[in-house]
Amino acid sequence: MSGVSGQQSEYLVAHIQDALATDARTGELELDVRIAGGRVFLAGAVATTERRDAVERVVREVCPDYEVVNQLSVTERQQPGPSEPVS
Amino acid sequence: MIRIAAVGDLHAGPDSVGTIRPRFEGVTDRADLLLLAGDLTRRGTAEEGRIVAAELQGLDLPVIAVLGNHDHHSGEEATIRRSLEDAGVQVLEREGVVLEFDGATLGIAGTKGFGGGFAGASASAFGEREMKAFIGHTEELAAGLEAALAGLRADIRIALTHYAPVDATLAGERLEIFPFLGSYLLAEAIDRAGADLAIHGHAHRGTEKGVTAGGVTVRNVAETVIGHAYKVYRVGDRSADDVVGEATGRSSTSTTPSRP
Repeated sequence: MSGVSGQQSEYLVAHIQDALATDARTGELELDVRIAGGRVFLAGAVATTERRDAVERVVREVCPDYEVVNQLSVTERQQPGPSEPVS
Repeated sequence: MIRIAAVGDLHAGPDSVGTIRPRFEGVTDRADLLLLAGDLTRRGTAEEGRIVAAELQGLDLPVIAVLGNHDHHSGEEATIRRSLEDAGVQVLEREGVVLEFDGATLGIAGTKGFGGGFAGASASAFGEREMKAFIGHTEELAAGLEAALAGLRADIRIALTHYAPVDATLAGERLEIFPFLGSYLLAEAIDRAGADLAIHGHAHRGTEKGVTAGGVTVRNVAETVIGHAYKVYRVGDRSADDVVGEATGRSSTSTTPSRP
């Protein structure tokens, strides 16, 4: 939807972030949402692939006329490296 | 020397069954205790609390936790706490606990903490009652943390929070949301009471390492920040116990609640 003004896009970013925080399927507060070139870009990390897909579903429902570019990563959980002395 | 494993923001949900426990495989070989820096659940439901408690149950080392904002979202934080405690996880809220490791004592004081921002760009308890309640909550929890820390009778003392006590570990987050990520009141409490290490979570896009104005080492262990299942920090390296070797014995010796 390339005809949307910058101001409307800004409101939409806020609405998307609100939905991601409050929707029972997501509960995600720390994701990066940007609108550029008429597309919604999602970035950040989520815990599982299911949550990555759920985020995209919720965003598509909030703005069905936008193309959604899902760049979310799933958090790596490697075993820890060497311990760090701190005191 | 005592080895502290720490991670925050596990964010357990219904899709987490069987996924959290494996990340702690071998933790007892690497660490003497495990600290969880809040947001154990995703939406703070009792169901999620039961799921994360089941994943943590039976770990063969002391597990100490604070709750986070996500754990409060559904108003079921008391039930979540009970589930965790039934699973052997000790949950701290303006409380402390002292553990003993082969003669060395380690005290942990914990609180969820709250926001308000950092010196030079912080909110005050002024104006609307909602604003006073916001900052009042932070003040109350910071004071409780200070009392709990001061009450610890231990060789080494750790402050465990969900919200950040310093802005250094928020680097990478948008500056505009710093007031929702932590408060200088937590750091001031930690510095006044004294501590060897402060551990927090909450800031997913922040930075691991920081320090309080008083020189206390701060570590942000949000899972997305550390990039590992957990991090391990060693404390007491400079103590005389070093020559004895790594501590392995563990026993909870006392709990020191400070809240009314």
